[in-house]
Amino acid sequence: MTATTASLAPMVGAFTRAAFEAHLASLPPLPEWWLARKRAAFERFAALPLPIRTDEAWRFSNVAGLTLDGFALPAPARAVPFASIGISKAARLIFANGRLFSREILAPDLGRRGVVVDTLQNALREHSEVVREHLLAQPARLGSGKFSALHEAFLVDGAFVHVPRGVEVELPIGIFSFALGDGAAVFPHTLVVADEGARVTVIDYFGSQNDTERQLAVGANDLYAGHGARITYVGKQDWSHQALALQSNSTVVRRDASVQSLNLHLGARQARHESHSQLQAPGANSEMLSLTVARDDQEFDQRTLQIHQAPNTRSDLLYKNALLQKARTIFSGLIVVDPDAQKTDAYQSNRNLMLSDEAEANSLPGLEIQANDVRCTHGATTSRIDPEQEFYLQTRGIPKRAADELLTFGFFEEVLNRLSQDDLHAALRTLIQTNFTGEKVAR
Amino acid sequence: MKSLIDSGTAATVENPVAGIDQTKGDFTYDVAYEFDAGTGLSARTVDYISSVKKEADWIRAFRHQALQVFQSKPMPTHWATRDLENIDFDRIRYYLASGQKPKRTWDEVPEDIKRTFERLGIPEQERKFLAGVEAQFDSEAAYSNIKEIVAKQGVIFVNSTEGLREHPELFRRWFGKVIPTGDNKFSALNSAVFSGGSFIYVPPGVKVAQPLQAYFRINAENFGQFERTLIIADEGSEVTYMEGCTAPKFSTATLHSAVVELVALKGAKIQYITVQNWANNVFNLVTKRGLAHEEAEIKWIDCNIGSRLTMKYPGVVLKGRKARGEVISIALANDGQHQDTGAKMIHAADETTSNVVSKSISVGQGRATYRGQVHIPKRLRGCKNNTECDALLINTNSRTDTYPAITVRGERNSVQHEASVSKVSEDMIFYMQQRGLTEGQAMSLAVNGFINDLARQFPMEYSVELKRLIDLEMEGSVG
Amino acid sequence: MSSLVIHDLHVSIGDKPIVKGLSLTVNSGEVHAIMGPNGTGKSTLAKVIAGHPDYTVTGGDVLLDGRSVLEQEADERARAGLFLAFQYPSEIPGVSIANFLRAAVQARLPEGEEIDASAYYKRLYAKMDLLKIDRKFTSRSVNEGFSGGEKKRCEILQMAMLEPKMAVMDETDSGLDIDALRIVSEGVNALRGPGLGVLMITHYQRLLSYIVPDFVHVMYDGRIVKSGDKSLALELETRGYDWVKQELAALPA
Repeated sequence: MTATTASLAPMVGAFTRAAFEAHLASLPPLPEWWLARKRAAFERFAALPLPIRTDEAWRFSNVAGLTLDGFALPAPARAVPFASIGISKAARLIFANGRLFSREILAPDLGRRGVVVDTLQNALREHSEVVREHLLAQPARLGSGKFSALHEAFLVDGAFVHVPRGVEVELPIGIFSFALGDGAAVFPHTLVVADEGARVTVIDYFGSQNDTERQLAVGANDLYAGHGARITYVGKQDWSHQALALQSNSTVVRRDASVQSLNLHLGARQARHESHSQLQAPGANSEMLSLTVARDDQEFDQRTLQIHQAPNTRSDLLYKNALLQKARTIFSGLIVVDPDAQKTDAYQSNRNLMLSDEAEANSLPGLEIQANDVRCTHGATTSRIDPEQEFYLQTRGIPKRAADELLTFGFFEEVLNRLSQDDLHAALRTLIQTNFTGEKVAR
Repeated sequence: MKSLIDSGTAATVENPVAGIDQTKGDFTYDVAYEFDAGTGLSARTVDYISSVKKEADWIRAFRHQALQVFQSKPMPTHWATRDLENIDFDRIRYYLASGQKPKRTWDEVPEDIKRTFERLGIPEQERKFLAGVEAQFDSEAAYSNIKEIVAKQGVIFVNSTEGLREHPELFRRWFGKVIPTGDNKFSALNSAVFSGGSFIYVPPGVKVAQPLQAYFRINAENFGQFERTLIIADEGSEVTYMEGCTAPKFSTATLHSAVVELVALKGAKIQYITVQNWANNVFNLVTKRGLAHEEAEIKWIDCNIGSRLTMKYPGVVLKGRKARGEVISIALANDGQHQDTGAKMIHAADETTSNVVSKSISVGQGRATYRGQVHIPKRLRGCKNNTECDALLINTNSRTDTYPAITVRGERNSVQHEASVSKVSEDMIFYMQQRGLTEGQAMSLAVNGFINDLARQFPMEYSVELKRLIDLEMEGSVG
Repeated sequence: MSSLVIHDLHVSIGDKPIVKGLSLTVNSGEVHAIMGPNGTGKSTLAKVIAGHPDYTVTGGDVLLDGRSVLEQEADERARAGLFLAFQYPSEIPGVSIANFLRAAVQARLPEGEEIDASAYYKRLYAKMDLLKIDRKFTSRSVNEGFSGGEKKRCEILQMAMLEPKMAVMDETDSGLDIDALRIVSEGVNALRGPGLGVLMITHYQRLLSYIVPDFVHVMYDGRIVKSGDKSLALELETRGYDWVKQELAALPA
């Protein structure tokens, strides 16, 4: 059922049916099943209303900021502001304004071993079955159904990584997505499928060329860890400070498999990040980590779901936010344990460090537990810098400001320490410190 | 996060949930009585209640306005359990005068109830009242001492009707201010048809040594469906109030919707202790809130063991500097029960502190839910909140949910919230069994240990009964 | 030559007076010990000298090299040459010992001057070896997961790296076994010299057998009530604090 054009207008903004048809027309030949899905997604997108303040899933969010007006799919870009973070990689994919900009396979034996690092467009043609089985196969459960539909409808291109059975890729695969130009709307997507016993690390970087361009980024990822596989996923969001960013991440963990994902949030004016882990079979393990530096008038809204569907599964969530100036954060996390998921270990911890008097932190940690032989804890702590620790550093001659910086970096270390790759740890630490010391701590 | 919670079906309820079940057969009625408001709720019912009580015009108007609010508000099933939809408001009797109380003979009381009384060591004289054999509890003889002391100190302790009629200058000021009529659908309902409950005023500096109990009210409408309680502790005074008991309390009325308002003026302390063990056919929906002024302290100690569904979130508005609010809560949910409890702490002044400790035990298919709200706005400094909620799941399909919401602004305030869910450790049970305890005894010990620090905060006689009650509940759960 | 002069100091927590007119002078090269029963305000004294914000000085003064420190922040006093070895050192998760000390050493250098990294590490390892702290500890978070002995040795390591003029040691021996006590004491003794003044606060005499003081003072009810040399400590050990209380009671009012 489609609504009339007139009544559609407020709900679709710039993403009208005409815009959608133009988008379809601009695509190269792609399988019909995928185009049919995109059309169905557009209808869903157009029919769903924008979130309102009283929606439980958007509690505390600034829903007034969710506007779809004034954006357009951008033209291809000629150059990208790519800067290496100094980590050796097995492969690198760079996307600019939704289109592939460059693709380099750096580890010589990748192809020979059957590892696929390619664009989604190529994969839709050459690896259709695998893509069809996994691409956006998990429903959006955390409240952004309308935006997931928008993403699926307007998705131009993305990254596809498939590691076959038993293959371990030592060096990380880097994916870079840039949004360039005022009013640009991008829809990045990363699909990672690790077959039985495979191992891979993926770094997903999102950025703009400055902090003044107004942009819309509606992205998603799908991570699948097969039997005994291991995936490490590191995301870094650094969109323009005038961007509206929505990201929906889905992780499916199968028997004895393990996924570690660490997301670093620095950019955008208003960012909503949904992360959903399903522990589907015994021995599955999901570690969900996040670090956010919220400053000025940024709002970071993070919603998570850890769902345990089988016995002997484990999940561990640690989300740390540092809030400066007038920033706002929302963390809403739910752990669900199904009745048969005995011997589940599930942990969730949200820690907010308040570094200014105007900042606001909201926490909604949640539990729905239906099996009794479990260990589940959640915790949320919001506080300023510990005055005893601050005093201790001052008695060693370190001035207050420097002490607070040290302590804030120390606050983040706990999360970075979970990474086993030292070079990645060091690179991220440098990134945070640079971002941080660029601005004075507001006291 | 889920916005709708699926309701579990109550496994063991045989009675229809609305109104009085006259088909069950073990209750008899006196047919000829003077006052009968009938079933269902309308403006006439409200007028009727007000006339019987000979209320002043302002109270009548208050009730009417509340009725309108109640009728205009929807059921809160967008966040609360859909089991609420089983309440049929038209079949409820909203007012029962003492002449109308249903009675039954002691022989008609079910055996397991009698056994419970025995196991809990309930005094003989109280058993008949609790079982619905007697309509009024004769408190005169037992508690006349307390009444005397209380009167000497200038403490006013009467029921709501008398309070509003005889002492409007004291109570009118705060009545309906801590919990406004429109706060929620059920506070509106209560505001329209309230009857019974305690109105207490403690003069400045008076520290009432003995806890005041609901039993002490003579002339009470003891089935307290829509009790309204208002306690005002004037500057520097202290008072403890207790209601309920661990013995299962019979009610033929299946909807209990009470409102409790507490006002602690500067430096005053109020402690409000509730032990709720309504029978399994009761919907127990209570709104409780306290207003704490400068350096005052309000403490809610709440134990929920009975009812089919309890929804209760005691709260404190910390209005004055250095005010303190605390909620201590123990909930036990067995088959067919849902304890949906929590706490609300609203910080509205500097250096206020709040503390919430909630422990719940889910047995069989019981379900315990914690909902919390902590709010600390900008421009406040030195505020702290600490929340701990722990859930113990005894059987495989026991269930618990936790939904706190915490908002903190500014860097001069701090909040800490921790929750955990676990089961009784098998190693611990084995160890106790190795020393000669049965599995059931071991479980009881373990569960009592879980709630021990909280149970100790209850007055002695309650905590003893509580332990015995838990033993009883646990017996069914093992094996 | 440096001096730490405490002159008729009065300190309160809220409206409760804790230190009630305490006077004491520590000069470079001297080692003083303050002993006293629990609750007399010994730790309060240590924290106030270091500049802890929870205490209110209601009278008197504290002067380092003739200059009052009471208006100075804790870090200013530290850079001026004051060091406090805490009774309960803070854990600083996520901040490594190496980085922490480096920041502290860097803070003392004039504006624009950078630490010589290799010289810094050379010195750090040398001190760690002296205090028998495993070199791997440089990457451990400060005090996190440390035993009591390890924490106290870490305090002395910091003292060794920062080279203060005046060191106040607050119950450094509490929670230590004999071996740890010996190592810590050796560390302190190695730092003793004409450039350092030490004020040890302790409840037990035991520490003073290892770090032998030049002066011993007894603190009671917020004041110094008796002073002497190291033999006073031994006398206290034998006769207990009650002896001092009785002596005081016997004095004319």
